[in-house]
Amino acid sequence: MIQANNITKVYHSETVLDIPEITIRQNESFGLVGNNGAGKTTFFRLILDLIRANSGNITSKSIDVRSTNDWKNYTGSYLDQNFLIDFLSPEEYFEFLAEVHGLSKGDLAEFYAEYDEFFAGEILEKNKYIRDLSNGNKQKVGIASALMFKPDLVILDEPFNGLDPSTQIRLIKILNKLKTEDGVTLLVSSHDLSHVTEVCDRIVILEKGKVVTDLATNENTLKELESYFA
Amino acid sequence: MVIKWFIQHQIKQSMRASIWQKTLVINIILGLVLLLMLAYLLFLGIFIDVILNEMFPDNDPIILFNSMLLYYFGLEFFIRFFMQSLPTLNLETYLHVPIKRSSIVHFVASKSIVVIGNYLSWLILIPFAVKVIVPNYSVGVALIWLLGIILLIFTNNFLATYVKRHLVGNPAIVGVFGMTSIVLVFLEQFNILSASQLSANFFGHLLEDPIFLLIPCLALLGSYSLNYFYIKSRLYPEEITHKKTQKVDRLANVRYFSRLGMTGQLLSLEMRLLWRHKRTRSMLVLAPLFWGYGLVFYPDAVEGFSLSVIMIFVGIFMTGGMMISYLSYCFSYDSNFFDVILTKYSDIRQYIRAKYILALTVSTISFLVTIPYVFISTQILFINSMIFLYNIGLLSFVLLYVSTYSRKKMDLSKGSAFNYQGFGASHWLTGLPAFFLPIVTFLPFRWAGQPETGIIVIGCLGLIGLLFHKLLLGVVIRQFKKSQYAMAEGFRQSE
Repeated sequence: MIQANNITKVYHSETVLDIPEITIRQNESFGLVGNNGAGKTTFFRLILDLIRANSGNITSKSIDVRSTNDWKNYTGSYLDQNFLIDFLSPEEYFEFLAEVHGLSKGDLAEFYAEYDEFFAGEILEKNKYIRDLSNGNKQKVGIASALMFKPDLVILDEPFNGLDPSTQIRLIKILNKLKTEDGVTLLVSSHDLSHVTEVCDRIVILEKGKVVTDLATNENTLKELESYFA
Repeated sequence: MVIKWFIQHQIKQSMRASIWQKTLVINIILGLVLLLMLAYLLFLGIFIDVILNEMFPDNDPIILFNSMLLYYFGLEFFIRFFMQSLPTLNLETYLHVPIKRSSIVHFVASKSIVVIGNYLSWLILIPFAVKVIVPNYSVGVALIWLLGIILLIFTNNFLATYVKRHLVGNPAIVGVFGMTSIVLVFLEQFNILSASQLSANFFGHLLEDPIFLLIPCLALLGSYSLNYFYIKSRLYPEEITHKKTQKVDRLANVRYFSRLGMTGQLLSLEMRLLWRHKRTRSMLVLAPLFWGYGLVFYPDAVEGFSLSVIMIFVGIFMTGGMMISYLSYCFSYDSNFFDVILTKYSDIRQYIRAKYILALTVSTISFLVTIPYVFISTQILFINSMIFLYNIGLLSFVLLYVSTYSRKKMDLSKGSAFNYQGFGASHWLTGLPAFFLPIVTFLPFRWAGQPETGIIVIGCLGLIGLLFHKLLLGVVIRQFKKSQYAMAEGFRQSE
């Protein structure tokens, strides 16, 4: 699904990301953990062609992400609040994205019904602009917007941040369902080690831009991660 | 002393504000403009007695100057009301630390003292005092006179900030002030109460007897207390910030756009963006002023309207002003959600085309609105329609191209007056040729005695642009794709 070759990214002569090779297979759920400044967001931004690498390239479904826009049609992403159009109401934003992704009115209604529990009555029909929502609710809008068009590839940067406990649990359920039932490829970064082990079957630890550990999740993974970061 | 920290923090805040992080060129230009203004004021101050003597040779310059002071304060009040921003302190960062509330309030209340507007008039007052009052009276009298006026300047400052504070919570107070000033103007008109007489009397007395200095002192104390107690009673952040959560307006329900598919969606998005932010909204509201340019320039030209360079400029601004102010920032407007554009729009052409269509719409509206100027001269319609073609056929593409050089995040929730955020030297340097191209085209024809042909050629340039609009749009898109990373990176950086 995603293949990175010889990727380096340098800011002000400091290498923030240096990945010789990494492959993420179809339907893999890939968790990225690391302390602040490890390069998690930078890696995601490179996959989304938001920044240019200093060397190397990233392919999505074997096509260089920089060469075409095709990946946009099957990639749902939410990295931060820059991904929200905050002067719209949540409904207006979803309608807009529905148009962008070519969803019908029926698809949209179905989406609202499906995410009703996730929104917990805080998002829709509130008659508020996104900019006036709390951070947690903005996060919900952003995550839902990434998932609404049933993408093949989902990229979420610290999706659990700012969510209340109930919503965190619901999100884990949603992500697991996407993985098992819809065959979605999942790329998630998180500071929360237990959440990421619950969602991902492969976990990569980044440190100062380099991959230091790459492991398949099993019952000991959480312990291993905790001992690594302790 | 706590105040010391406040002042230190404020200085750091303003030194580290993004306004200084502009390119050197812009800072130098702004600095020169400021210096020039100061020099003008000083010049005016030094020669004001000569000027007054020339204009009103029969009047005593001191009485004359005194009689104008009250008008000056009135004018200053309005300028302050509209231009001066409210002094605020990020209260939440200080309220929870053990600092006495009264010192916080004093600091916020007195912060407006540093506004440059309080000191500009000194450049006129001091030379006048030295040159005219000292020889007629004495150094002491001049100092008292000066002190009285300066105290009133600060009174004015506090009064204006007080009224402005009420603008958020209690607009009625603003109305009362507005009505009072209208009444005063009427009284003056019908010679019931003459502000000039009052002014001359008061400042005349001040020259005779220092006891009158008490009045400005009390006024200053009073106006300061107004601010002090106002802030003190509203110290809780939630009461002072008035952060209203707005209700969603009905703009999204405009049916027309939904029929246009994706382009319609993008247009509708753009309209909502423009309408729902303070900065763009005030731009929209003020834009019709461009249409009034003709009222200023054309009447002089009624007799023997000539096809001149000035008229071309007037034409560009009238039919294109709105378009220019929209397009020169059109990508910075989206700086808050630029990542959405890069990750979700699979067709950038559509996105840029929507911007072009909106620009086309506003310039068409501007053109239609300015048609009635034809009653002044048919030549006006001729010039404006040719320039309209030039605007939509060529200038628009140039501006789109130039705005891909935007690198600064723009906070649209701030007002637009004197807001240079998102403004770069590159905007102007690259935009200038687009403005001078019509002039450069026109001048040779004019020298050759064929001004009409020159105007027609300008229109033809636009027509050619329209014919090749696909090609030009392609150039813009290529440029956009080249600079999208740099734009996205600049937009991502917060203040």
